[in-house]
Amino acid sequence: MRNSSPSSRLFFAGVVLAVVSLAHTAAAQSAAQGFALERLYLSAPGGGWFVMDDLSMHGGLGGALSLTTGYSRKPLRVGTGSERLAVVSDQLFTDFGFAATVDRFRLYLNFDAPISTKGRSGTVNGYDFAAPSLTLSNSPDSFADARIGTDVRVLGEADSPFRLGVGAQLLFPTGKRFDYDSDGTYRAMGRALVAGDVGSFSYAGQLGAHVRPLNESPAPASPRGSELLFGAAGGLKFPFSDSAGTVIVAGPEVFGETAFNSFFGSRSTGVEGLLTARMEAISDRGALLRLKLGAGGGIDPHFGAPEWRLVCAIELSDQFVHVQEH
Amino acid sequence: MSRSDPFARNAAECERRAPGNARRRASFNWSAIAASSLGLVCVALLLLTAARASAQAGPPEGHEDDAFDVMNVLTQNGLHNIRDESWNAYGQFTYISSWKLPLHSPYQSVNSLLPGAERSFTGSFTLYFGARLWHGGEAYFVPEVISERALSGLHGLGGAIQNFELQKTGSSTPQLYRARTYFRQTIGFGGDSVEKTSDPMQLGTVVDSHRLVLAVGNFTILDFFDKNSVTSDPRQTFFNMAFMTHASWDFPSDARGYSWGAVAELYWDDWAVRVGRITPPRNPNELQIDFRIWKFYGDQLELEHDHVLLGQRGAVRLLGFQNRVDSARFDDAIAAFTADSGKNAAACEINGRYNYGSTNTTAPDLCWARKPNAKRGVGINVEQYVADEVGVFVRGMYADGNTEVDAFNSADRSLSFGALAKGARWHRPFDVAGVGSGTSWISAAHARYLAMGGVDGFIGDGQLRAGPESVVEAFYSLNLLKAIWLSADYQHIWNPGFNKDRGPVDIFGARVHAEF
Repeated sequence: MRNSSPSSRLFFAGVVLAVVSLAHTAAAQSAAQGFALERLYLSAPGGGWFVMDDLSMHGGLGGALSLTTGYSRKPLRVGTGSERLAVVSDQLFTDFGFAATVDRFRLYLNFDAPISTKGRSGTVNGYDFAAPSLTLSNSPDSFADARIGTDVRVLGEADSPFRLGVGAQLLFPTGKRFDYDSDGTYRAMGRALVAGDVGSFSYAGQLGAHVRPLNESPAPASPRGSELLFGAAGGLKFPFSDSAGTVIVAGPEVFGETAFNSFFGSRSTGVEGLLTARMEAISDRGALLRLKLGAGGGIDPHFGAPEWRLVCAIELSDQFVHVQEH
Repeated sequence: MSRSDPFARNAAECERRAPGNARRRASFNWSAIAASSLGLVCVALLLLTAARASAQAGPPEGHEDDAFDVMNVLTQNGLHNIRDESWNAYGQFTYISSWKLPLHSPYQSVNSLLPGAERSFTGSFTLYFGARLWHGGEAYFVPEVISERALSGLHGLGGAIQNFELQKTGSSTPQLYRARTYFRQTIGFGGDSVEKTSDPMQLGTVVDSHRLVLAVGNFTILDFFDKNSVTSDPRQTFFNMAFMTHASWDFPSDARGYSWGAVAELYWDDWAVRVGRITPPRNPNELQIDFRIWKFYGDQLELEHDHVLLGQRGAVRLLGFQNRVDSARFDDAIAAFTADSGKNAAACEINGRYNYGSTNTTAPDLCWARKPNAKRGVGINVEQYVADEVGVFVRGMYADGNTEVDAFNSADRSLSFGALAKGARWHRPFDVAGVGSGTSWISAAHARYLAMGGVDGFIGDGQLRAGPESVVEAFYSLNLLKAIWLSADYQHIWNPGFNKDRGPVDIFGARVHAEF
């Protein structure tokens, strides 16, 4: 190897520093690419709450269907003061969910179909943000990231005061970054779940991790890699009518996330609250129908936590009873 | 390019009479039709005599009672009532590979079938979910993944594209999309009881033989119109698009073959009438949809009659369509270029007009003539079983051919016929074999436009000596484990792109198809 003098090494180091600095400057002026913005990580079909899970799987082979639709206002605001820019100002989606259950186990699929995602383009802190322009007309059949997941209740019965479960999800990069409905990479989630029913009070909670390879730091309001997930919900049951088994459950759900590499940092933590109500009715043949409504918004509005949100859902759960028993 | 309903089956095939309610079938003189179909019957008889006459199996179908699939397994274990379903779920996987041999090509252009050897493939995976919402109300949701590579970038073939699964927007990177989301309501008016068997996009149930069926949402129009129980599910039968439906039926759809809209079907014993209005693409052959369905639309009207001829069932369907879409007349494009040579193909992009990539400065282009235009056509679709497991079919359609292809393919007139046999005769009841021929033509105006060097969505060789584009196809599908089909296929295509100067071309195909 050829020897080099201290001055030449100093010169070489200077060149490297300059190149790195230029590269960094170039990156800082580059366009933000978009990412999976939605933070309403829906519970599995049949899960009861919007985000939490009531872990009520029971009986033999059964299944659940869900149709959820929601609108969020300004889920992505970048910058402050005069630089404030609603890159995504309106987001409307419909989610189709399908689940199969056996005893305390659940396997499910979710297909999130964006209907409209719009916003304003602009430059903030040297980053160019291109607003999405997704409508049903120009993307008539697109999906955001599709999801497959499984949950299992490890402790307690379907209606016991304390239930403990675990769940895992894999999200496929089937959406598009420029539509703000995908990171463009596979993602995964693992959650510890609790739920219970004590008299007329129902509660649920979660603590988990979102394995998210995308780290767009220092771009403002962008993912910072993997995240801690947390949340809790509680509600009271009210009988809805004289018909047996028809109740309304009303109460709040609070959920959020924070990036592990900036733990509970002000720019890496989002918290959202929903006031929810759901009507649960049981048909003559034992099928459970849920109509769910939620309204709320960002409490600590990081990206994905909107100014306000409306969400509603229809959920049908049933057991596959032996035909001969009918 | 469009794709089919993968389990397309006609109403007669999907229906069973409820016990004790056998429906009276009209039986009258069909000798005229029989005489005109004599050639087809001869083909079928040839198949019959080649096989041992010993089987009793039914015609080729997409889903059998003893097939190995999720719903049958649940039913066999007492966990599901397949005859009175509140839900069902099915799935399929299909991989098709096509090998094109070199062809004679004295000249070519941007939309030509390339002269060298090529390989094309498609892989698709589909889930079908159905749920009963209330009495007579059903909802269906069908997500699908497709990966593909077309021959010559999906250029050079008009009405005889070798693989029905190919889509205009496809790529080798798998794409997940929502193929169908629609709601269907059945309103009964009495009559006999008809059992609808459990199938993808059909819940097992019993309906009236007099009924009105309304469907609204996102679907392919082939879910409802131009069904044919002989050609049945193209994922089990013919590979070529010429046999999927009328090649010259330019039904509005997005670039994958799906539309939004509404369909009403009135069934009255052996008769059925269907009307439907669906959305067109915003620009011809694009994925984007124009939802101004009151302004731009495709209207379809179909009359169907089921019959029994010499003890074998059959059906006749008459189909008419009218599209009102933003499209170009060939004569208008020629006139614009003749009047001003600056209105050529190369100038389209410079002027921000949508065209198909031609940069020919001496050719007319459709981009200069697009405005609201109508396209009309009428067709007939006949199916007839000639033995318990052998059926013949013929489809013919005449469209006006004044305007460009908006959504399907370049043909303006088409005729296809063939025969299929199920393998019970040789003790392989799930096997299917078939032979068929399809021919399509273009209008005189279309030919003049292409001869001047113009291109449409799929074809245009720079020059043209016009002739019919024809395909002859033979295939055999071998079933394994009642759920998997392995198919071998051969196609010979004359005059690719309706050009007598090019071709013929030979294409060999192989297919793996699984249902669950």
